Amino acid sequence: MGGNGFIPKILYALCAWCGTGGSETAAALWLKYPENVRPFRVVCTGALDPAYVLRALIEGADGMVVSGCHPGDCHYNLGNFRARRRLAVMKEVLNTLGLDGDRLWLRWVAHGEGKRLVDTAFEFDAHIRGKGPNPLVKRWDT
Amino acid sequence: MNVFVTKGEGRGNLVFRALLKGLMEKDVVKVALVCAEDPTGNSFVHVLTGDTSVVESSWPVPPVMPVQGARVVSKITRKGPVELPTAVVLRPCELRAMRELVKLNQVKLDGLLTISFDCPGVYPLQQYLSGDRSFMKASIDEAFGHFDLSGTRPLCQICHRFTGELADVEVGFLGAPDEGHYLIGHTRRGEEALKALGYQEEVDLERRVDAVQEVIKQRIEAREGYFKGEFGPKVVGVEALLTTLHVCINCHNCMRVCPICFCRECFFDSDALKVLPGNYLVRAERKGALRFLPDTLLFHLGRMNHMSTSCVSCGTCEDACPNDVPVSRLFAMVADKTQAIFDYEPGQDLDRPIPFIDYQDEELHDYEEPYIESTTHRPSSS
Repeated sequence: MGGNGFIPKILYALCAWCGTGGSETAAALWLKYPENVRPFRVVCTGALDPAYVLRALIEGADGMVVSGCHPGDCHYNLGNFRARRRLAVMKEVLNTLGLDGDRLWLRWVAHGEGKRLVDTAFEFDAHIRGKGPNPLVKRWDT
Repeated sequence: MNVFVTKGEGRGNLVFRALLKGLMEKDVVKVALVCAEDPTGNSFVHVLTGDTSVVESSWPVPPVMPVQGARVVSKITRKGPVELPTAVVLRPCELRAMRELVKLNQVKLDGLLTISFDCPGVYPLQQYLSGDRSFMKASIDEAFGHFDLSGTRPLCQICHRFTGELADVEVGFLGAPDEGHYLIGHTRRGEEALKALGYQEEVDLERRVDAVQEVIKQRIEAREGYFKGEFGPKVVGVEALLTTLHVCINCHNCMRVCPICFCRECFFDSDALKVLPGNYLVRAERKGALRFLPDTLLFHLGRMNHMSTSCVSCGTCEDACPNDVPVSRLFAMVADKTQAIFDYEPGQDLDRPIPFIDYQDEELHDYEEPYIESTTHRPSSS
């Protein structure tokens, strides 16, 4: 996978209900995800403030992927709808300023979708390896 | 909507003084919230007054915008609506910010009679304080009705929401013949106020509508051209953006003067960003060094995420910046894009909630990553 020894640091934000549930299902199915993907549990994708994502992308992460309940399935009814709006704004802000909003992914994963979670982790890992290191991480002047 | 229009005499600040005085004398309003020159003649402040003599010597439309009017209205009405009918003169951007604050429960509109106008723009605050003040005062007064005033803030020159159509009473200069102006009542409250002043005559607004559309078209073109061609290349990309923010001293003035940033405590001033020395060391090690004060980029990007959908492009942040960071232009450029996602215009429609508390079941699928189930065999951990 990938040349020149670049192993990206990837954060995988998972909501406490479906995202983490998906990872439990993956575990039950003995599925493995890349070791450089670090799960990050949030109580709901709607509770993921842009500041957390930006902090990660500025201070060390090469990419961040967010998974939570499918729209309509939110444990708190509308958290993921709000998350989708926030994520759209985050990506648009990053893209407008030329900071590569594609280092941020949103993909819904239900409790039972263990394979989908693992596939997403592999797919995003390959996607970030293709992009190379996040230039913000090594900048001391942020 | 029944538009009540009349043609008046004169342009400049005297129009507003006469209008306010008339409204107070006819008891339509008891109080006016209006800008006045401070006694030293250095700058302008908002004053709340029930005295017509103060109104007579006021500067309802000053050449600068030291404090965003929406903040002033919010200060007055956050705890409850005004007890006496009050007339407020606001620039279009102040009015939009104020209406945005209504949605955020920071302003109560009851009892307010809002007055707005075709805004010719304002001069940068620093330039006014250190420059030829009498020239700037005179040129603002002469600028009503045409839109070629030079030397105003860059954001004012590309503003395409410069009319007062959201106010109860709009004072329109564009398209008005013989150096006159239109008074347009956009709401029932506005129409009644004009009727109380004795205006009855309905005038055809066709000429004005065409003139306004023409300037809007020019301004939109100029705005797109400026962000794409002139300003964009200077700030877009990691290198360019960080270079732009190098001079930022992290004073958070831009946030403090912003009419939309109403939070009692900003996340970026909170304990969440106050960490133990060890944390800074780890970050310094990772990056090779760590800039202090830290979290400059985080602050600006974070604020864009939190409030750019409500940004009215008023430029107050840039006026407050001690180090000439083009904050307002950065924010306006980003805000144009983030507002376009939801087709949202801050301050336009009072019945439309702000994007972050609203949602549709089916929307924004372009921002979700589509999943195609892979058939590749993944190594299992057994």
